[in-house]
Amino acid sequence: MISISDVRKHYQMGPTVVHALDGVSLQIEAAEFIAIIGPSGSGKSTLMNIIGCLDSPDSGSYELAGEEVGELLPDELAEVRNLHVGFVFQTFNLLPRATAIENVELPLIYRGVGARRRRAAAEQMLERVGLADRMTHLPTELSGGQRQRVAIARALVGRPSMILADEPTGALDTRTGEEIMALFEELNRDGVTLILVTHDQALAAHAGRMVRLLDGLIVETRAGVAV
Amino acid sequence: MNARAQLVMLWENGAMSFRSILSNKVRAFLTALGVMIGVASVIGLTALGHGASLSVERRLSTLGANLLIVYSGEPRGTSLVRQRTTNIAPMLTADDLAFINSLPSDLVVRTAPESSRNGQLKFENRNTVATVIGTDPDYPAIRNFQPMYGAFFSQLDMESRRNVAAIGVQTYRELFPDGRDPLGETIRINGLPFRVIAIMEEKGSPAQDASVFIPFTTYRRSLSGSDNYAIINIQAASTDVMYELQETIENELLRLRRVPSMEWANFYIANQMDLIGTVTGVADTFTLLLAGIAAISLLVGGIGIMNIMLVSVTERTREIGVRMALGAKGRHVMTQFLTEAVILSAGGGLIGVGLGYLFSWGAQRFGRLASVVTPDSVLIAFSFAVVIGLFFGGYPAYRASRLDPIEALRYE
Ligand SMILES: Nc1ncnc2c1ncn2[C@@H]1O[C@H](COP(=O)(O)OP(=O)(O)O)[C@@H](O)[C@H]1O
Ligand SMILES: [Mg+2]
Repeated sequence: MISISDVRKHYQMGPTVVHALDGVSLQIEAAEFIAIIGPSGSGKSTLMNIIGCLDSPDSGSYELAGEEVGELLPDELAEVRNLHVGFVFQTFNLLPRATAIENVELPLIYRGVGARRRRAAAEQMLERVGLADRMTHLPTELSGGQRQRVAIARALVGRPSMILADEPTGALDTRTGEEIMALFEELNRDGVTLILVTHDQALAAHAGRMVRLLDGLIVETRAGVAV
Repeated sequence: MNARAQLVMLWENGAMSFRSILSNKVRAFLTALGVMIGVASVIGLTALGHGASLSVERRLSTLGANLLIVYSGEPRGTSLVRQRTTNIAPMLTADDLAFINSLPSDLVVRTAPESSRNGQLKFENRNTVATVIGTDPDYPAIRNFQPMYGAFFSQLDMESRRNVAAIGVQTYRELFPDGRDPLGETIRINGLPFRVIAIMEEKGSPAQDASVFIPFTTYRRSLSGSDNYAIINIQAASTDVMYELQETIENELLRLRRVPSMEWANFYIANQMDLIGTVTGVADTFTLLLAGIAAISLLVGGIGIMNIMLVSVTERTREIGVRMALGAKGRHVMTQFLTEAVILSAGGGLIGVGLGYLFSWGAQRFGRLASVVTPDSVLIAFSFAVVIGLFFGGYPAYRASRLDPIEALRYE
């Protein structure tokens, strides 16, 4: 489904050039659960953002479902994100003034789904992540784990072909993190493609495959034990 | 996107904008304050200007409707109010009047010639001086100057050259300080006995209130001896024909005098339209000036909106990034911020309309100023406010829509 070949991305920082990605090639199949690990600054988020069509590479090719992403216009990229990608961020990125259910509805708003159907879909997703009784809470009225569940419900509500989770448990305590991981595994069992960025080896062990990045290069690929 | 999806977006933008505005009410209020004041001042100030112009028009119309006055003498400005033309040599002839009376009724409704001079008035032991005006029974109708008590002299009084007098209210007060009913009493004008038949209404100007009206026939026989008139008052059929009528009369009177142009004429015609035109012209200029000042304040209000919207876009960079990550396109972000700017400016405009009415009401109630809100000014000021919101909200909204999603998401 995803085919990345020789993707590069660098940043000019004063006199030095930082190679965030230095020629990365990677294939990801539908319904796969893949973990991307590596130390901080190794290029994990950069790769993730490119996969999610938020960022574009300086060179190299990225094909999504047979289509070359580099040729898409900004509005088309927005549409791909809206229809095919569900983001889960380390810092949740919920809109602070919107309630849980309003946050979950957002992707459907940009798809032009009417209020009633939107609400129904959002309610269903919040129930799915175990927040049936927190729908009208504001993010500040929720715990970290609950906030991340809202974010997951938001990523799922549009039934995207892939979920991109960038250190989703990074801001959570171990136990809550495990709960979130369990939720991800459950989703993956239902057929959602899951790409998980983490620097935690133990979490990565849940994945079907693990890719290790170092200084913008893939240095190791390993099939996991799970699945 | 289909039409239904567009509608969903529009509705959601409105809802989101309202929420964002309500979440910071004080700031929203301060942002819209400039527009509020701008709209209120456009409406309030034009109300004052319009009120002033209306009250002038109203005062002018108390002179009489569709009034044209032919004066003896050289033109000295075209004032309808300038007279009392006491003691000017009467140079308008019976032929002049006959010509004017011969004009069709779709030009002239009625005429009243008049001549006047100062007279010595006496009743019992009271003396006073007043303008004695010899005129026609139609005078009250033409000059909109009616008796408030009793009746003006009639055609019969005129034909019989009766010694009857309708006295001005000030003259009445001078001669009858005890406030008695003067009807039927005999006063003396330059020693001649006249029976009082009416008290004229109060006009507020001494020229009109210190006066005595008697039939022109009586006036000619007893006081002047001249057949000529000093003035001919004419009521035209409508405002539309007044200039045409003026020209017709001028031409004929010049012809009768064998005089080539008005420069050499011994008469001139004052036209009520000129006066109304001049005065309302001044008032309109004044209104325009006020509106201009107010429009500038509205513009300043728009800049205030732009300023705050730019701050708001910067503050919400991360929110914009999140929305874009979830699939918002540039135009979604654009319309969201535009909607917000327009809601602010339209809301400010609406409150401004209320304040404008309040201002106008207050000016009338407490400032004792004539003030009339015109629907035009409300419509113009409000639409201008909305346009200003669109215009000044446009740039910040455009900036927001052009943010790079990844940069926006990373923004702290
Ligand atoms: N916008 C940017 N400007 C400059 N350098 C950047 C930018 N984004 C990422 N980088 C650099 O690229 C490298 C990879 O970053 P990132 O992909 O965020 O790493 P990770 O997510 O693995 O911690 C880092 O050295 C980081 O400093
Ligand atoms: Mg990272």
